[in-house]
Amino acid sequence: MSTVDTVIDRGRGMTTEQLLLLVVGLGAFLLLGDLIIGILNGTYSISRVARYVVEGTLYGLIIGLAGIGLSMTYSILNFANFAHGDYVTSGAFFGWGVTYLVAGWGAASFGHLVLVAPQRGVGGAQLEIAITSTPFAIMAGLLVAGIGTALFVYLIDRIVYKPMRGSGGIPLLITSIGVAFALRYIIVFVYSNRTRGTTLGGLPSFDLLLVDGWVSIDVHDGTLIVAAVALMLGVHLMLQRTKLGKAMRAMSDNRDLALVTGIPTEQIIRWTWMIGGGLAGSAGYLMVLWTGTIDWQFGWLLLLLIFAAVILGGIGSIYGAIFGGLIIGISMHLSMVWLPGGDFTTITAFLIMILVLMIKPSGLFGGKTTA
Amino acid sequence: MSMLDVNGLDAGYGDLQILSDVDLTVAEEEYVVIVGPNGAGKSTAMKSVFGLTTYMGGSVEFREEEITGRTPDEIIHQGIGYVPQNDNVFASLTVEENLEMGAYILDEVPEDALESVYDQFPILRERKDQKAGSMSGGQQQMVAMGRALMLDPDLLLLDEPSAGLAPDLVDEMFDHVDAINDNGTALLVVEQNAKKALRRCDRGYVLVQGQNRYVDSGDALLNDEEVRQQFLGG
Repeated sequence: MSTVDTVIDRGRGMTTEQLLLLVVGLGAFLLLGDLIIGILNGTYSISRVARYVVEGTLYGLIIGLAGIGLSMTYSILNFANFAHGDYVTSGAFFGWGVTYLVAGWGAASFGHLVLVAPQRGVGGAQLEIAITSTPFAIMAGLLVAGIGTALFVYLIDRIVYKPMRGSGGIPLLITSIGVAFALRYIIVFVYSNRTRGTTLGGLPSFDLLLVDGWVSIDVHDGTLIVAAVALMLGVHLMLQRTKLGKAMRAMSDNRDLALVTGIPTEQIIRWTWMIGGGLAGSAGYLMVLWTGTIDWQFGWLLLLLIFAAVILGGIGSIYGAIFGGLIIGISMHLSMVWLPGGDFTTITAFLIMILVLMIKPSGLFGGKTTA
Repeated sequence: MSMLDVNGLDAGYGDLQILSDVDLTVAEEEYVVIVGPNGAGKSTAMKSVFGLTTYMGGSVEFREEEITGRTPDEIIHQGIGYVPQNDNVFASLTVEENLEMGAYILDEVPEDALESVYDQFPILRERKDQKAGSMSGGQQQMVAMGRALMLDPDLLLLDEPSAGLAPDLVDEMFDHVDAINDNGTALLVVEQNAKKALRRCDRGYVLVQGQNRYVDSGDALLNDEEVRQQFLGG
């Protein structure tokens, strides 16, 4: 057979999937090439690109952290929980109420502080809330965001999901949309719909001069990195080393077998909700610390990106969720090199998700369930 | 007095009745096999003992205690273990983690039980850090049996331990099953390899259309002209 025939044969054997991979790969290559050439000839500022990568990583950590819980409940209960974004918001409000209370004890009424200043008046800036000035208030807030949300999510499971155990993915999914709406408007009812600033500006930061400009990482960025990485590491160790974690993985592998092996499945489900919820609450708290603002629907808006990250990474895998979160976060911010920014970056997130699903429908970490 | 005493059991799934008036006994340390044509309700009978079917009547007594209506983890506490036929390992867990799961109801992993499982299935010790899902069918079956042995059950229910194995591995699997019985664990085994199973067991049941048809010692069933003609292929 001549070389030409071989080439033709290979061409015939190429599936649309491979063609797509080729096109996507080529596109990615061109963009990367443009980025490198642009940086080299000065069209794109190095420090600006570096800032995008840093911001994207931070955003990705939040998405990934929140995504772990979504992925865990998906792999063990087999349904996509649309209320997860509102768990994120709830946790942020629980935690920030405590932070306001600790940082501003006596500066305003108890109600004003615990409801995170629903009306104008004393707010985060006046209370000088920052990890440097009020470290204890922030640590207490993060703790309450985690534990409070865990208990809150457990309560929701008992009231809403437990009676429906075993009714299949679709009824549970639709129910969770209802839970999401109910939660969101209860949040508006309790905490008001005002968007408010929560932290002090002008924080101390670590600045790095990068050829043509500064890249700075302030103390809240640092706090986010440390807390998020610690929590992710904690989940990893929990899943790999503890009896509970192994049972969670066992259950995500095969629920019926877990039952006949004597694993108390109901107890594992409870812990899954609580751990997933606690991580969602922590992610919400950290997001508010990072952005410096809180409002009633930021978790809901974040949910679509969390879904994109989790699906991209392979739903059911916590490592996929973390990895997917970072990919989504970084590519969203990096796309601002070409796009005008703002909501346009969302296009990037979902475009990447769509492309990954077309090429590898089970997600990047798909098929490997790691709870 | 028998250890397991199933009396006039009616059971099935939902509204569908599969078993009617099934009697079944297993004595301490006895090796009992259930054979019969496809769809006869062999697996259903076994699952009913473990509380995995819809109970419709009759009784299942273990050591003179009624166990119908109990959940699997309660039945495990009583001293009964169960190895399902398919998908019987946690694929993404390592071999050792699979074994640990078998002892979940205990506060700590029983090291002596783990050692004795490894002694019984040396290949599992060799591969203890390998993911169970990446092992061969025969090895997965050993993982599944090992997991059920972690609590040292008095009665072990095995659903077709030789199913899907290469012919040369079938005898090896039967040897492992014999060894479990030799250690004092009573067995209730469902088998497709009827002749091989009947040759090794103490007693056999032939189940047809959800009812007991023949009960006798393994040898007697093998030599029964009618049983041979109808169920053992001559």
